[in-house]
Amino acid sequence: MEGNPKNKTLVIRNNIDELKKLVVFLETLEDEWNLPPGLVPSINLALEEALTNVIFYAYEKGTENEITVDFRLNEGLITIVITDTGKPYDPTAKEDPDINLSAEDRPIGGLGIFLIKQIMNEVSYRRVDGKNELTMMKKIITK
Amino acid sequence: MNIKTQKTSDGVLVQVEGRIDTTNYNEFETAMNEIFKEDVNQIYLDCSGLNYISSSGLRIFLTIQKKMMGLGGKFKLFAMQPAIKEIFDISGFSSIFSIYADIDAAKQA
Repeated sequence: MEGNPKNKTLVIRNNIDELKKLVVFLETLEDEWNLPPGLVPSINLALEEALTNVIFYAYEKGTENEITVDFRLNEGLITIVITDTGKPYDPTAKEDPDINLSAEDRPIGGLGIFLIKQIMNEVSYRRVDGKNELTMMKKIITK
Repeated sequence: MNIKTQKTSDGVLVQVEGRIDTTNYNEFETAMNEIFKEDVNQIYLDCSGLNYISSSGLRIFLTIQKKMMGLGGKFKLFAMQPAIKEIFDISGFSSIFSIYADIDAAKQA
């Protein structure tokens, strides 16, 4: 993990099956960047939640679009930027669910973005040049 | 994902292996819905082979829990991997599910 900053990019289409590419991509990234065990599953989860939102809601049904996921590793920090050209949507503005409710009162769903915020150290959104840009950062803790 | 379901003397035992994510949660949902076609008092879910779950999978878990509570039955999870337990913890799911170390503990409870 020492040395110069590393960069890698994944481009997927707005189709839920494309998440399978993410899994394979992350396995390669884990090897190439020598990431500590346990990190990739967490990143996979945060990314699945974020990308699922984009795939399901950002675009008109039946249209094919690209979503770009940029990864950067620098000094023990992984920065992931998801860029899409869909309709403006700020996931960070979504209210957190009440996780103390009983099973009866707990609504079904609404956990995805909350999970991203719990897993990542920082999550931020901006709309720039007609694109949604979601930036997520995760510190790497080596034991 | 692999799902195996078998009837036991006191309920149904389900073993799930692999990932439950947005690409395949419907397979898990379909398998679980099959169970509810007959009267069921207890569902034991062996989580030892479950190595990844996203919110799509968690919502099925919650749906089953609500159904079982409505039926007056029990939904018992056991042998959960630490990484999965962590996701249950951060979701607040650990307090709304009964999670046991192994099948014996689940049966005795």
